[in-house]
Amino acid sequence: MELPFDRVWLPYIYLYGVGGLIFFGGLFIVLKSTSFQASRPEDRRWIRILLFGFFWYASLHGIGILAAIA
Amino acid sequence: MLFSFLFRMQESAESLSAQAMDAAAAAGSSPIFWVIVIGYFALVLGFGSYFARFNKSTSDFFFGGRRFSWWLITMSIVATGVGSHSFLKYSAKAWEHGVSGTMAYMNDWFFMPLFMFGWLPIIYFMKVRSIPEYFERRFNPLVRRLATIALLVYMLGYIGIGFATMAKTLLPIMEPHLGWDLMTITWVVAIVAGVYITFGGQTAVIFTDLLQGFILLLAGMILFVLGLNYLGGFDAFWNALPADFKLPLANYNDDPGFNFVGIFWQDAVAGSVGFLFMNQGLIMRFMACRSVNDGRKAAAFNVLFALPLSAVAVTCAGLIGRAIATTRPDILDPETVKSDEVFVRVTAILSTKAGFGFFVAAVTAALMSTVDTLINAVAAVGINDVYRPYREAKGKETDDRHYLRAAMWISAGATVAGVGSAWAFNQFDSLYEAHGWFHSTLTPPLVAAIFLGIFWPRFTAKGAVATFVLGSVFIVFGRFFPGLLIAPFDHGIPMDEEAPYKYIGALYNLVACFGIGIVVSLLTRREVKDIRGLTIWTGEDARHFFKGSAPDDRPGLKLHLRWQVNPALAEGTVQVDAEALEGLAGSEGAMVYLCDRRKWLGGLRSTHAVLQGVHAHGEVVHLSPDVADAGHFLVGQEIVVEKEF
Repeated sequence: MELPFDRVWLPYIYLYGVGGLIFFGGLFIVLKSTSFQASRPEDRRWIRILLFGFFWYASLHGIGILAAIA
Repeated sequence: MLFSFLFRMQESAESLSAQAMDAAAAAGSSPIFWVIVIGYFALVLGFGSYFARFNKSTSDFFFGGRRFSWWLITMSIVATGVGSHSFLKYSAKAWEHGVSGTMAYMNDWFFMPLFMFGWLPIIYFMKVRSIPEYFERRFNPLVRRLATIALLVYMLGYIGIGFATMAKTLLPIMEPHLGWDLMTITWVVAIVAGVYITFGGQTAVIFTDLLQGFILLLAGMILFVLGLNYLGGFDAFWNALPADFKLPLANYNDDPGFNFVGIFWQDAVAGSVGFLFMNQGLIMRFMACRSVNDGRKAAAFNVLFALPLSAVAVTCAGLIGRAIATTRPDILDPETVKSDEVFVRVTAILSTKAGFGFFVAAVTAALMSTVDTLINAVAAVGINDVYRPYREAKGKETDDRHYLRAAMWISAGATVAGVGSAWAFNQFDSLYEAHGWFHSTLTPPLVAAIFLGIFWPRFTAKGAVATFVLGSVFIVFGRFFPGLLIAPFDHGIPMDEEAPYKYIGALYNLVACFGIGIVVSLLTRREVKDIRGLTIWTGEDARHFFKGSAPDDRPGLKLHLRWQVNPALAEGTVQVDAEALEGLAGSEGAMVYLCDRRKWLGGLRSTHAVLQGVHAHGEVVHLSPDVADAGHFLVGQEIVVEKEF
């Protein structure tokens, strides 16, 4: 059964569109705050992990959708 | 051999279907079933009595002495996050909607930056013992009182719901063989849970949850593998699912009962913020970490890896059930199976009576590990936000041991109150609905107040009170006039007259609460109040507050040293020689962490201290008597010393 584009990809676009606004908005606040110190290697590492996490989940959901429509 | 003993091989369809119908009742006739269940309860009770020895102060009882490694906390969060209803609820969702039943477990990363660099450092470094305490320090005592009432009613009710769910799950097994009714089962479960929490505190909760988290994840994974084996492999399972059931995200807005956009706002936004920022039990768990860095590791590992595994564990019975119903409707008839029966039915099809005991233990573990956290959290709020302020207002001097005893009494009282509310929920369905109604009405204002408090310094106490009071009023209005107030936010979701805007109502609630908080704050004068360290914009002040002086971030080495007690040292201090001091990159007044060198203990034998001067006795660290006592170090075991900051 062919699934319509809206059913397959619209939730994904909304999830990582609106979710991305929340995530990167939060990241922007963090980078502007005094809680983050660029001079601390630990803090820089956590920013990299946060970015990895976002793309990790975007990949998991993306692969899940591709597996479903294959 | 053991595998086939516990888990069923292929049998005839007629036999399986019949066995599935009465599996729960039949399980009780197996001696192995009772060995597993009673053994599990005995193990949990043993944990409680063993870890009681680690409670010497309220800090130990509520926060485990702030000593534990990230992996212990991760497993504990997994066990807390998977509640008693999770296996039944999410199996039902997966049975009805497929893989998208996992959505609630797979959308928690969006608020991680604000949690890791905002809320977590604030509560840890500012030593915030409870959510209401944060409200007083950030705003005023009135806001604290409002938050205390809301949290206590919510948590006590939730303990009752946990007990009631467990009793209903165990009733078909216990009643035919022991003659136990709902309340007897509730009391037995409550006594087991109450004993280990009352005496063991947070340390017992964390170590019991390590066991319980492992059991429930293992049970879910075994069930999934058994299902795949039963169906003939992954390809057979995957091909048996309808096309729509394979998608990881639900339909955008078609189904008012289960739609993506509503679940996004209710779960990914309101639920995530509620769980990460407003869950008293979870806050105490992060406070039990040995450092903020370990708290971040626990949170990251939990969301990145443990939650996807939990999602598989709690939904797989529904997915396997749907595949069986597609290929073998003679065994599992999709027309007659009720959604909330799917977990028990599928488990019964795939396991023997003895194996069924293992899955009952897993569901019990899910209950215990959620309820134990709530009981410990009720005790923390009861002591920190009710009893201690009351005694201080009366001018009564009280030492910490008095509060430790009081915390144990409150834990026992919370357990009994939980049994009472379980009884009430069983008697009156309307009470159960009232608790859900209370929860969904008061959670958004709390979430908005915490969030604005952390990230917007201009947010005033009047804004916080208005968020609580007017926010709740607007939410109630939304219930009565959904077509007028919630419809503008509905994203095209059709309005179901019986349960209007089941999920998307969360977006309206958040907009109302945040809107009220922002408008009232802008219209009121900012208070003259020292809020340094209590917002994300003053994070360095929080670290300064924690240490009591300027933080020192020079990197140092981890040193393995022998230890001995030096009674001449001041309380809370340790001393090393000049060479070790240089290796640690330490200085007078630096904070250090001392830990048994065996990493697998997870920090059970460890503590924090402050460096004081140097000695000339070589590679040995001198500990003040109270530090040696708090660390529970074993004589003859080397310890690892490292500078914190």
